[in-house]
Amino acid sequence: MKRYKLLAVFAVMALVFAACTTGDDEGDTDTTEASGTTEAEGGGEGDGDAGSGAVLDAVLERGTVRCGVNDVLPGFGIVDDAGEYAGFDIDFCRAIAAGVLGDAEAIELVPLTADARFTALQGGEIDVLVRNTTWTATRDGQEGATFVMTTFFDGQGVMVPASSGFTELEDLADATICVLSGTTTELNLTAVFNARGIPFNPAVFADNEQLQPAYESGQCEAWTSDSSQLAAFKSTIEAAGGEEQLIMEEIFSKEPLGPAVPDGDSSWAQAVEWSVMAPIQAWEFGLTAADIGSYDGEDPNILNFIGSGGFDPGLGMSTDMNVTIVEAVGNYQEMFEEHLTPIGLTLDGGLNDLWTNGGLMYPPPYR
Amino acid sequence: MTSTRAGANVRPPFWRDVRVLRVVGQILAIVAVFLLLRWLYGNLVTNSGRVGFDLDFGFLTQPTQFQIPNHDEFNPRSPVWQMVLVGVKNTLLASFFGVIVAAIVGVIVGIARLSQNWLAAKLATAYVEFFRNIPPLVIIVFFAFAVFLYGPLPNLRESIEIRAPGTDHNLLTLSLEQWGIPSIADNGALVWYALFVALGLVVSALVWRWRTRVNDETGAPHHRLLWSLGILLAILAVGFLVLGEPFRITWPTLSENRRRLVDGFAISAAFISVAGALGLYTASHVAEIVRGSILAVSRGQTEASNALALSNFQRYRFVVLPQALRIALPPLINQCLNLVKNTSLAAAVGYSEITVLTQASIGNGRPAVPSIVILMLVYLTLSLVISALLNVVNRRMTLVSR
Amino acid sequence: MTAVETAPVPIRPGFVTWVRQRLFPNVASGVVTVILTPILVYLGYRAVMFVAVNGRWEVVSRNLTLFMQGTFPRDEQWRIVVQILLLALALGVGASTAGAAAVDRAREAGLPVVKQPLSQVVRRFWPIGLFVLVLLYFASTLTPWLVVAGALAAFGLGNTARFLPSRLRNLGWLLMTLLIVAGFQVVSGTTGRSWVMSAMLVAVGVLVAFPLDGLAPRARLAARAGMALLAAAVVFGIYTLIPLEGIGWDQWSGLFLTLWVSALAIILSFPLGLLLALARRSSLPAIRVLATGYIELIRGVPLITLLFMGQYILPFTLPPGSNLSSISRAIAAMTLFTAAYVAEIVRGGLQSLPTGQNEAAQALGLSASKAMRLIILPQALRAVIPAMVGQFISIFKDSSLLYILAINEFLGVRSLVHAQADFRSIAHAETLVFVAFGYWAFSYSMSKESQRLERRLRVGL
Repeated sequence: MKRYKLLAVFAVMALVFAACTTGDDEGDTDTTEASGTTEAEGGGEGDGDAGSGAVLDAVLERGTVRCGVNDVLPGFGIVDDAGEYAGFDIDFCRAIAAGVLGDAEAIELVPLTADARFTALQGGEIDVLVRNTTWTATRDGQEGATFVMTTFFDGQGVMVPASSGFTELEDLADATICVLSGTTTELNLTAVFNARGIPFNPAVFADNEQLQPAYESGQCEAWTSDSSQLAAFKSTIEAAGGEEQLIMEEIFSKEPLGPAVPDGDSSWAQAVEWSVMAPIQAWEFGLTAADIGSYDGEDPNILNFIGSGGFDPGLGMSTDMNVTIVEAVGNYQEMFEEHLTPIGLTLDGGLNDLWTNGGLMYPPPYR
Repeated sequence: MTSTRAGANVRPPFWRDVRVLRVVGQILAIVAVFLLLRWLYGNLVTNSGRVGFDLDFGFLTQPTQFQIPNHDEFNPRSPVWQMVLVGVKNTLLASFFGVIVAAIVGVIVGIARLSQNWLAAKLATAYVEFFRNIPPLVIIVFFAFAVFLYGPLPNLRESIEIRAPGTDHNLLTLSLEQWGIPSIADNGALVWYALFVALGLVVSALVWRWRTRVNDETGAPHHRLLWSLGILLAILAVGFLVLGEPFRITWPTLSENRRRLVDGFAISAAFISVAGALGLYTASHVAEIVRGSILAVSRGQTEASNALALSNFQRYRFVVLPQALRIALPPLINQCLNLVKNTSLAAAVGYSEITVLTQASIGNGRPAVPSIVILMLVYLTLSLVISALLNVVNRRMTLVSR
Repeated sequence: MTAVETAPVPIRPGFVTWVRQRLFPNVASGVVTVILTPILVYLGYRAVMFVAVNGRWEVVSRNLTLFMQGTFPRDEQWRIVVQILLLALALGVGASTAGAAAVDRAREAGLPVVKQPLSQVVRRFWPIGLFVLVLLYFASTLTPWLVVAGALAAFGLGNTARFLPSRLRNLGWLLMTLLIVAGFQVVSGTTGRSWVMSAMLVAVGVLVAFPLDGLAPRARLAARAGMALLAAAVVFGIYTLIPLEGIGWDQWSGLFLTLWVSALAIILSFPLGLLLALARRSSLPAIRVLATGYIELIRGVPLITLLFMGQYILPFTLPPGSNLSSISRAIAAMTLFTAAYVAEIVRGGLQSLPTGQNEAAQALGLSASKAMRLIILPQALRAVIPAMVGQFISIFKDSSLLYILAINEFLGVRSLVHAQADFRSIAHAETLVFVAFGYWAFSYSMSKESQRLERRLRVGL
């Protein structure tokens, strides 16, 4: 009797796995555990080839947008003591959801470490990565990501205590410099300092939670990171009564931060791109969350933008998506002022200002 | 008259024959596992082709591109396989010192638990019950934060320098980031001296055995410790003289601008956190094992020792501990392996052992799948080698008794 | 004149005698006492000052909900509350059913029945009680008090299950299973694939509740299979008819997630480990080699490596579109890991049985599977209960490794707390002490329970 059972079990297993190795899988083959989650799986499009539309279809079917975010970076993505996520990147995630699904709250936020973010994107765990990620060639190529547009132009800088008297990078010879591991910051630091022949000692930390106390207690004499992060930490250190900080003037790298989508789905990339563009375009037109719904002017560009008259560029999204987005998250300036101004960043005259003001924000025309 | 000889020439049909079924069952099992693995691997190949990452090990010869902290001599342009070696070396270092701490503290606490002194016994019990029930990760993080980030030590620039008495160089420097200890620098012939050291160890082991045999055969006191150590020191001294000072001792000194440690050997705070925390955590398990093994030595042994008027110390040294050690050795080997595996928790404090370096290199764009395969192979090899070595010791201990 | 003989009364030593005997029996011990006492006094003083005076405990009191449930949506907190009540009820039903069954068996065997007073039970779990009290101390709203009171009331209500007549005793187990499943589903909802696990649990509960021992073997097998399938079908039907939205477990976090991850890893790894142990002792060499290879492979690598494998490799070994959340993958990795250790423990238990048991079973004509099920496994599993509980404690502690994967469980929530502007560089020690105390309370209670079980069953390898 026992042999029959054994035989039956193995025969069934062999049949199942033989069927499954023909390459045409139907999604839901469990691997090691039979428990499940409440996410409906992505429709079983397991033909092994994510052609155009795979991610967008999955998002539409699932009904939510899965964003990979940061949960410990003030201003961009952070969790407050009520357990709510808030931040500049979080708002862009909501903008994407508002544009694609019409509902800014149809989001699932997945916190990720810097090391794991691209694997999560490649593996399909998230649909879009909005985690203060720098656009580089390697990430477009080797890491399997596609960057859509830059939402924040940043650069790497160095912060030192004001009392240290350092003002230039060369002053940091033989200094101990705090840096986070696994980021472009670390690569840039090594590259720039080696190129200039400045010896230094990196103190590499896994997260800012350990880095900041080390910096404040003087274990490192300098802290290098994106200057937006440095500004955030400068304001918190000084607000908590700590020593006055100085962010050196020299910005020694380009860090264009923006959302990234997986390779291979251009409709999803475009959907994300134009959703992210909406707040910037609204800012250029002078529309805010409060008054975009009640625009009654005659400017044809704005009318196209808010979808009056049924202008549809054929992106596959609803004609009033820009209105939905801006009403949900505000225009770029409102987003900036809500999240980034409190941490000490300014728009005026910087890289993130509108092109009409000398900045780099130049939304392509919506026509 | 018919005689039936049941079973002799009658074979059951093949679908009921146990021998056939056994073979068929095993074949099916192997086929099933093989198909499962093939399906998983097929998906992996498909997905990696779709996404565009590598599955081969070619990345090992590419430059690492990041600096390993506290390893000034490591060039970020060195190939990745050198980074792997550095990681393995650090893992072994942390494991080694962790095992030493665990052994010393564990034996002390284990014996203290059995002590007659109420205070010592209760304290040891509290130690064990405290450390055993807290995740080792929490202990490591606690060390890293409470002892080293916010601890009572000064920064590197204001390190406490403990001078060697009568000289003007430091014996020890203490600070929050790193501790400096004396080190050995090569004066040209260190490799040859290492051979002398190896030779000395082998010869002293042989001397040990010889003296033990002399003692067994003639009953004369063996003094084997004195003999072995003496011969070892003699060989080391001879080597030193013959090679003409092959090494020199470097004392930990701070650089001119007091930002780095030149000379001497710098132990990073992360290393102390990992080795110390894991040592204390494993010590709690070791204490329990030691206590259990001492209690497992039968009371008859104690009574016999008392009948022979052996002192407490003699009883422990000659009767109880040898037997207890034999009982304790297999679980102790287990704890040693656990400690080696637990060094992977250094990911929380950034000590550059192999797991942390693998994670950092994946974060820097190296292909994840082969990196993790290498990581698992490293740990498997370490586990197998260490357990094989210790099992040899274990077998020798059980043979010696009879 | 008869002298009444009484048993000699043990002399309780006076305090001075006690000090002399226990603290200063000889010189060495005396020196130890003299050295240790001031150290202990100093450490105790520092500890008390830290806990009572200096500690900035508002970091815990302001973030208490964050520690407990992390980023779980606040307006769905009622789900967790209902789950706690249901699980307390299930615990009450289960405990009282077990107790009543034990009383029944004792009565049948003619052994004396010893009832344990409530105060004893409370004393057994004092660390958890202390932890709950600490939580209540830090609570700033009324909700935690109500929840604790409700849980105690539910536990008491569940205890009335002991009054079920003995023939219906097994219904208590079924009720407990249903309550646990309901508790799980009230949070995770009935959409998605979670019905599979629930169906299996309910089927197991039904099978335990109705052993149908009175039927003939073939009929019993058929009846049991039929019952299990019917139960699974009913569960599936309920789920499809009443689709309730829930919060999928990739949004669970905090202490809530730690407890559930540990529980799921334990529950899922136990059958797998059992199978592996039996496979390792199989007489078929291929199966034995496969099982041994798996066990040695898993035992040779640290858990973090398996978690990395789950995070970095597993998504790519599955067909695109089957998106497992990182928590699912972590639970899978932990289950695979624990199963190997459970297999070794069970194997040790199987080996410790005298071979006479197996031979006696064969002499009685029991088939191999019957012998395993009725004779060998019950004894082997009883013998390894302490080691199993030790392994479960280990898994509970190892769930803290999810912190390295940026999953915000109990230890990981600390990063969220310390990323807030108010607590960025301060109060690290306080949060660590709080987290360590939480882990310690649960682990210590479990290990004490295991020691108590070991003493009572007088087993242990």
